[in-house]
Amino acid sequence: MTGDFVRRRPLLSLLLGVLVLMLVLLLGWGWQQRVALSAFPDILSAYTAKEYCSCRYVAGQSAPYCQGYVKQYLPISDFVDDPEHKRVKASGLGRTHTASWLGVREGCRLIP
Amino acid sequence: MFKGVFLLLMLLCSCAVTAQDWPAEQWAPGPPGSGPALAALEDYAFANRDEATRKGIRTDALLVIRDGQLVYERYAGGTTADTPHLTWSVSKSLMAAVLGVAYGEGRFSLQDPVAKFLPALMPHPGICFADLLHWASGLDWQEDYEYAPLNSSVVAMLYTRGHTDMAGFTAAHPAFGAPGQYFRYSSGDSNLLSAALKNILGAQRYADYPWTALFEPLGIRSAVWERDATGTFVASSYAYMTARDLARIGLLMQRQGRWGERQLLPADWVAFNLQPFAHYQANQDAAVPGGHWWLNRPVDGAPRPWPDAPPDSFAALGHWGQALYVLPGEKLVIVRYADDRDGSYRHNELLKRVQAAFPPQVLP
Repeated sequence: MTGDFVRRRPLLSLLLGVLVLMLVLLLGWGWQQRVALSAFPDILSAYTAKEYCSCRYVAGQSAPYCQGYVKQYLPISDFVDDPEHKRVKASGLGRTHTASWLGVREGCRLIP
Repeated sequence: MFKGVFLLLMLLCSCAVTAQDWPAEQWAPGPPGSGPALAALEDYAFANRDEATRKGIRTDALLVIRDGQLVYERYAGGTTADTPHLTWSVSKSLMAAVLGVAYGEGRFSLQDPVAKFLPALMPHPGICFADLLHWASGLDWQEDYEYAPLNSSVVAMLYTRGHTDMAGFTAAHPAFGAPGQYFRYSSGDSNLLSAALKNILGAQRYADYPWTALFEPLGIRSAVWERDATGTFVASSYAYMTARDLARIGLLMQRQGRWGERQLLPADWVAFNLQPFAHYQANQDAAVPGGHWWLNRPVDGAPRPWPDAPPDSFAALGHWGQALYVLPGEKLVIVRYADDRDGSYRHNELLKRVQAAFPPQVLP
């Protein structure tokens, strides 16, 4: 049955074989990297919240400066800087993270 | 009477010869540079800043100390003399200085296994303090900030899987080789040192220790050092201070760990900091690793990393162009803060131009 198909459509069979092999390899790689892959979307918002908080409330730079400072190629979908509590919330790639200023020596930290 | 005056004169002369300048609340000003050599330095360090593309050399602060006197400083891009600027990996060398004070107090020795103080390192009992200071833990760490974020251990440590307990995250890495045998630059190694110090001192004493041990004796008032959720200072990345304050660390190192009358860092500690790691192979990194400082030493017949600076030069270096350079023979300390987003900045070029702008003083 399969042999018949391969004999009748050798090129298509080869192409399908290669596709199946690539899918298996991709899934294998994904499984191997599952921890890193699941954490990957967190980088953008965590980086933005933490480094903006420190830029603004540790280094004391202006809000426009810090916006430029943390800018990445990927877009931030939501961003809230609460100057009263010195808390910075950033969302991107479907994840949200918050950083908070803790004190004059402690600076900022991601929460939790 | 005459003899008394003579002795007094002798005493005054000897004081004038041996007197050294140390910063008090502020740095004393020294003779400023001028002319084409200074212009060439400024042309390089403060080229037109491109905020749209963020390409090229983007210096935020440049400060030059000669023999304890401030001879040059200039700021740009929102940074001022009062800005506690992020030092990134310069923090590692700052932690080395903090550890040096603890070492001088006899709290640990370089060959102590770190697991003795840090239970998280029990799976790697062979790692000693010297190994971590050489970035030679043998742990399978991937140090890459921007180009391979998926597998970057440092990005995961700072922002995702590791940020609550950076030392614990590092210690959970498997080994790729025996400790002390291979150089592999690792922010994790620096945070293991920081966490070990916490357990050596106790959490309460540790929280103030960088200030009581190092910053306050040096008159550093602007320092901020961020911690992870376990209270461990992020020794790899997150110390902040003004350029003027960072220069104080440089002067301390230029003068072999001595600050005024006080030997704050033991001489053998500073000697260890400035000794190249024996198993480093030429060109593995941008400069030669010592004990948590970067050295300008020739290795394996390869030329030294910064050919236009003397071989006894050393530096603390950080991401995006942060640098504290010390040229002990020239009595120069140079602080550079920056926001370099590409690799166009060259340490050697800056060091060459600073030396040209501030040549050795000719004694009258």
